[in-house]
Amino acid sequence: MTKVVLRLRWLAGAIVLGALCGPTALAVRAAEAPGTGAPPNLDLSAPGVAWAGFIAPKEPNYAIARLFNDFASPATGLGPVTDGPAHPYANNEVAREMRIPPTYRVADLDNAAGKNLLPWVREALMRQNELVLRGRNGESREARCWETGVPAFHLNPGLMHIIQTPREVVLFLTGRTRHIWLNVPHSANPKPSWYGESVGRYDGDTLVVDTIGFNDRSFVDSYRTPHTDKLHVVERFRLIDGGNTLEVAFTVEDPGAFYQPWSGTRNRHRVMNPNNRPGEFDCATANDDYFNIGLEPVPTAGKSEF
Amino acid sequence: MKVVRVCSMGLSFTLAMAANSVANSAAGAAPDLSGTYWAISYSPKIQVVGGGEPPLNAAGKAAYENIQAGLKDGSIVDKARRVCVPDGVPRVLATPYPFEIFQVPAGQVTFLYEMNHQVRVIVMDKPMPSPESLIVDPKYNGHSVGHWDGDTLVVETAGFNDRTFLDASGLPHGDDMRTVERIRKVGNQLEDIITIHDPDMYAKDWQARFVYDERNDVRIEDYACNDTHRDLSGVAGVRGH
Repeated sequence: MTKVVLRLRWLAGAIVLGALCGPTALAVRAAEAPGTGAPPNLDLSAPGVAWAGFIAPKEPNYAIARLFNDFASPATGLGPVTDGPAHPYANNEVAREMRIPPTYRVADLDNAAGKNLLPWVREALMRQNELVLRGRNGESREARCWETGVPAFHLNPGLMHIIQTPREVVLFLTGRTRHIWLNVPHSANPKPSWYGESVGRYDGDTLVVDTIGFNDRSFVDSYRTPHTDKLHVVERFRLIDGGNTLEVAFTVEDPGAFYQPWSGTRNRHRVMNPNNRPGEFDCATANDDYFNIGLEPVPTAGKSEF
Repeated sequence: MKVVRVCSMGLSFTLAMAANSVANSAAGAAPDLSGTYWAISYSPKIQVVGGGEPPLNAAGKAAYENIQAGLKDGSIVDKARRVCVPDGVPRVLATPYPFEIFQVPAGQVTFLYEMNHQVRVIVMDKPMPSPESLIVDPKYNGHSVGHWDGDTLVVETAGFNDRTFLDASGLPHGDDMRTVERIRKVGNQLEDIITIHDPDMYAKDWQARFVYDERNDVRIEDYACNDTHRDLSGVAGVRGH
């Protein structure tokens, strides 16, 4: 309940902050980008700028609310796993705006994205769907404090902060961080990790990020769609809408999990506030399974390493 | 009583920071501390500058004994290690994992620690939040504001929560603790000398010193609470090495 209240407070703040962001701020920004190594039209890290995954519309709007914490499907071609007509998903924002009860996610395994899943992935999602329909384990991996992997990293509706240097781009999103190493090739044998090894380059005004070297412990979405260590994600970050929207368009391929590559996008909105800075994050506190509904335990260390 | 004392400290602190801000803006380009750093040694017990034990007062001694007994019998959990909540200051300074300092964007210096991907932002362009704000929004790592004093980054931190230890042995602190760090490059090393001001627990102010090698050959890696992480055998004092 506390998380919901906090989220609503944040949304109210985001609306106000979003209104402050106007053409004047953008005009000033073009002359600034010291030490970032970024093209002038892709300065994502000006002082006070952060990128909100969601800004509530003035009037209830299902199409917008639906993307509160989900990927948008591509105009054509295969997209991400989604809900289906049998079990429409109502996230907290849909529930708030439409005045309906929120639900947990049940993946549609019969649409094109569902049919793109290799049998073991499909079976994993069938088991997960059954759990959710019994009221168990419906929260996303992220809500249980686990590292999210890519592209699920982008799903959080909160504020993303970005630091750009000539060596790297660092993404900060509610206690999680990713490093994108610029203008270097992939390592010969990247150590498997939650966010993989990301290398990037600026292609005109677009940051192109290529990531491999994942472990196989994350999910690619909040439906808990698994993947293998063959996962390969390409993300393209660019500014649209006059610089007010950061579009992250990505393509996912994993011959161990999907028949064909699929794509999605996640847009974030520029918000400007001098107090916007990355901050500390405590996920584990007050995140017990209070209602005994089989939630995944939060990550817990055994013996300390030092 | 506590509120009055915090407000009083906050006022003098705010005035001091306003003066520093003016001085800083006239000083020209800031020194460059950006880069990746890695401690060469680790101690679970914080080492006091000048030797000896931290100068605990009677309340501090009682709290320390209570914490140590609790850690031993399991009634107190070291959550920074168990479920990876932030370490707090100064414990995070003792990390045996590398960390990275960023000086962009303007107006902040960002410390990004590999361990539990903790983020510490030193606000360079604003004064310390009001005493009231510090009371209602306490943080594990507190609220930090900084300014340059020659080649040294001076960081003042207040507004801590009461959920952290000062070191891995369970050394206590009160939520009125304030710290001042003086951080500078010395050759290819980074030095951080921290002064602890915590009359609730300590009879007088005291200092600790942390030194790190500059290691721009190292990339900060992912860190998840239940994982095995990078090889720490190059860090003297880490258990098992």
